Order: sequence, then C-alpha cells, then structure tokens
Amino acid sequence: MGVVLQFVINGLMSGAIYALIAIGIVAVYKSTRVVNFAHGYVIMIGAYLYYTFAVLMADVPWLPAWYAAWEPQWLLDQRAGAQMFSVEKAWLDWLSNLPRIVIGLILAIIFSSFLAMGIERYTMRPLLGQSSFAMIMVTVGLISVLSGIKGILWTGDAASVPHLAPNPPIRFELFDTPIFIFGANLVSMIIALVVFAGIVLWIRYSSAGVSIRAASEDQSTAYSMGIDVTSVFRTAWIIAAATGAIAGAILAARDGVSPSLGLFGFSVLAIVLMGGLDSFIGVLIASFVVGIIEALVQWQLGGGWVEVTPYIAVLIVILIRPHGLFGQQEVERI
Amino acid sequence: MLAVDNVHLSFGGVKALKGVSFDAAAGEITGVIGPNGAGKTSLFNVISGFYKPQQGSVSFQGEDITNLAPDRRAALGMARTFQNIALFRGMTVLDNIKLGCHTRLSANVWSAMAYFGKAQREELALREAIERDVIDFLEIDHIRKAPITALSYGLQKRVELARALAMKPKILLLDEPVAGMNREETSDMARFILDVQERFGTTIVMVEHDMHLVMDICSKIVVLNFGEQIASGTPEEISNDPHVIDAYLGKAA
Repeated sequence: MGVVLQFVINGLMSGAIYALIAIGIVAVYKSTRVVNFAHGYVIMIGAYLYYTFAVLMADVPWLPAWYAAWEPQWLLDQRAGAQMFSVEKAWLDWLSNLPRIVIGLILAIIFSSFLAMGIERYTMRPLLGQSSFAMIMVTVGLISVLSGIKGILWTGDAASVPHLAPNPPIRFELFDTPIFIFGANLVSMIIALVVFAGIVLWIRYSSAGVSIRAASEDQSTAYSMGIDVTSVFRTAWIIAAATGAIAGAILAARDGVSPSLGLFGFSVLAIVLMGGLDSFIGVLIASFVVGIIEALVQWQLGGGWVEVTPYIAVLIVILIRPHGLFGQQEVERI
Repeated sequence: MLAVDNVHLSFGGVKALKGVSFDAAAGEITGVIGPNGAGKTSLFNVISGFYKPQQGSVSFQGEDITNLAPDRRAALGMARTFQNIALFRGMTVLDNIKLGCHTRLSANVWSAMAYFGKAQREELALREAIERDVIDFLEIDHIRKAPITALSYGLQKRVELARALAMKPKILLLDEPVAGMNREETSDMARFILDVQERFGTTIVMVEHDMHLVMDICSKIVVLNFGEQIASGTPEEISNDPHVIDAYLGKAA
C-alpha cells in the first residue's frame, strides 16, 4: 500500500469538490435540458463575492471591529499561549475569522442566487419553447458577460481568502501508513458530500423533486398538470448558484481567488459528461474517479500531466459509453 | 361553464382560428370535429393556455382566463390529455397518476421542504381517494407499478385519462382520446368517458376524428374547417347540416 493511500485520500478530497460543482450542472440540465457552459464562471463570481464580503469588507472603517477580526481578551490570551502549527492554534485563528467567514459565505450564497435568478429570468425564460440549443449558446455567451462583470468589479490580482473551517495539519496512521491531510480540506469534503446528499435526497423524495423530474421530461405536459414550470427552473438555477458559491469559497481558500476559477467549470463539465448528464450518482462516482486519477497521476508522472490525463480517461469513457457511465439512453448529446 | 368567444389565432401569416365561439354546458360532453388542419388542436391549446389568442376571450366559470398561464388554469380545475400520448415515460403508472394530484396538494416547492410531515399526511389521504376514484374506476389496478413503456397504446391512453382524472377536474379536455385505437379499445374508452361524466358530473370537451364516437356520446358538436366555425348544434342538426356535408364530402355538383 504505502504512499498510494495518501494520494487516494487526496483524490477523494478533490473529487468531493468536483461533485459539489457538478450538482449545479446536473440540476440545471435535469430540469431545463440546458448544459450550462458558464457554470464555472458563476462559481468564479461566487468566489469573488466571498472574497468581497470576507476580505475586502473587513477593511471598511464604519463596520464594527469584530467583523475584521473577533479578538476578545480570552482568545488573545489563549492564542499567545498556543504552539505554532498546533491544532489549538488553528482553531483559535479560525475562531477570530469566524464572523467574516460566516457572513461572507451567506452573502455570497444570497448574491449568487440573485445572479442566477437574473440569468434565468432574463436570458433563459424568454427562450422557453425554443430549442435547448439556443439556450446552450446563451450560456456560452454568458461566459464573456460574467468575465466582463468580474473585470469591471474586481482587479485581476490573485488574492487569498480565509478557509471555511479550521486548517490544522492532521497526521494519523492508516494500515501502518502515515497519512497527512489539512483539516480544511477534510471539512470541505464533508461539506460537499453533505450538500450533495441533501440535494439528491430532496429531489428524489419531495414533491418538489417530482415537479423537477416532470418538468425535465416534458415541459408542456408538466405545465398542463398544474406544475409551475418557471418556478422549477428558477429553483434549479438557485440550487446551482448556491452550491456554486459554496464550492467557489472552498476553491478560493484552497487555490486563491483568481479568474482561472472559471476554467474549473469546464473540467467539471467533462466529469459530468463522463458520469451521465442526468445522473447524480453517476456524476458522484465520476468525480471521485477523476479526483483519484488526478492524484495518482500527480504522484507518478508529475504535475504537468494532471491537466491532461484524467480527461483522456473521460474521453475514452464517452467514446465507449456515449451517454456516460450512468446516463439514460435518451440524453441528448451536445 | 366554458365559453370561447370570437377567438382569432394566427401564426405569422397563417390564420389557425378565425372567430371561433361556443359554450360548453356544465356536465355535458361537447365534441369538436373537423378535417385535418381545421384548427382543433390549436383551439385546445388556446383553451388550456399554451397559445394566447390575438383576439377574443376564453372564460371558465364566468371568469375571464384568457391571460392565465397553463398551470394556473390547471389549478382552477382544468385538465387535459394530449393527442400524442404525453405521459412521463421515465415514471411508473402510479407516479404519473400521483403527478396529476400535484395541484391538489397545498405543499409547494419550499413548503414541501419545511413541512415534511404535513405534506406526507396530505399525500396519504389523497392516495385513498385516487385508489377509489381513479385506479379502480378505470380498471388499471393491475398495471399500477408498470413502467409506461411496457404498456399497450390503448392502456397508455387510459393512464393518461387517469392522470387527468387525478386532478379532480371540473372540466376535462380530451384531445383525440381514441385516435389509433381498435374497435374494442374505442368502445372501452367511450364507456369510461360516459362513466366519468355520469359519476363526477365533469364537463367534457373532446376533439375527435371518430364520427361514430362523437355522434354517439356528445350532446353538442362544434365543426371547424380551415379555422372557421362552420356549424354547431346537436348531433342530429350537425349530420343534416349542408355546410358540414360539404366540408366532409365535398360540394355536390
């Protein structure tokens, strides 16, 4: 076993983030039959919103001091006594950032949702009844619009943002192999999986989920059955934007805020195609598969191959199974 | 019950409907007939809200519904079936029927999430009503778990009727309920339509090509030809109307 285990665990952790991003693409596809090419850019905006509310806003003079850093006396005392790089130190650092992390994340989710509602209302709904190809082309156009908005509102410099969770280094032994992971990555994986499971269960077992499935199969019939199809579409876009904002915050903390976050969406789109556009479970498995392949490639072949190899795997899967690993036969190809 | 008043509908230069007006009386079966391309399905789409007429109005129970979206009309008690079977193919018969009662559940997308218990109780009560009034009534008990794709054409049509009935509609719009059926399936369907009318007092409007069926079960018939309403009246009046004979058989020399 040895070192393999370490890389498999790394792969699982990045796979979970892929899955979190993939929810947004699958939710929008399932309900509206639109493949959202701009999803990565929605996530990028989410990351920048988190950056704005968690980092930039902290410098605003009229906001209370606890917003920038919550430092009651007992916390300072504790921190002075804590050892560098210890678990305790990581928790205390996180605690004093907690107000801006929570407010930043919540506002990022809210503003991203507004953005998604705007996109749905003003660029998708007018095209209802047209072929979904028209809507897919609109999402391609949205890429430029969202990058442009980003360029107007924020500078191009990469910046760092606080992690959502405390980030102590964790060392433990598994099957006699020493494993090393960062706390924030572990918590991010848990957040991603909980959100994923919550949304999948909700779509499967609630009557709202039935509306989504019905609208995805046949819009006009769903309409005449009394299902408010436009509200289904809006819900799907809000799900995409809210999960995207969480993913954006996680990615921004891990890799820094930068415009390249937008490109992330394309990698995940490939993963979604591999799993099957309309299958949440397939997409979850594909996310882990790609995450693990990436980690193993990085270990054996070095970082340069990481960008390429997993997507060769995706290509091969799609060539053999055009509807993805778990996709339904009637899924249309793009 | 349902009043269509002077409806005009055109797609670009094509005039699909030119001043159609009729009333469907409560509890009666009204038939809409006409040759292919006469505008029957367009008329249905105007009534159920998919097309908005350029001129004229549709009112239901005395209320003008010309500008209501299809889902709002469904909530008022309007159910329809489609000419080409429009069942959700990825679901079982029971799931399709349960979708029909969607409008009768007060829980919506958000409250379904918040009040899971209430939504569930409601569903149990509904299930019982559906069991009695829809599944047993239409004799589809044996196929409730079957996937749609496994059913014969005639049965699929019956499931579509079941789904519409699950909405407990005040008015039922049937778009060619017996198209493509053999004689036995047609007479089954005719029996079910009459049973629905008798048992629930539902107002029914149907578009149909099968003249025998229409003459047999409708109390009023509206005849369309090239988007124009050329006649309306009882089956007897219609079968003796010279305009109708012209439209169907061509002008006598």
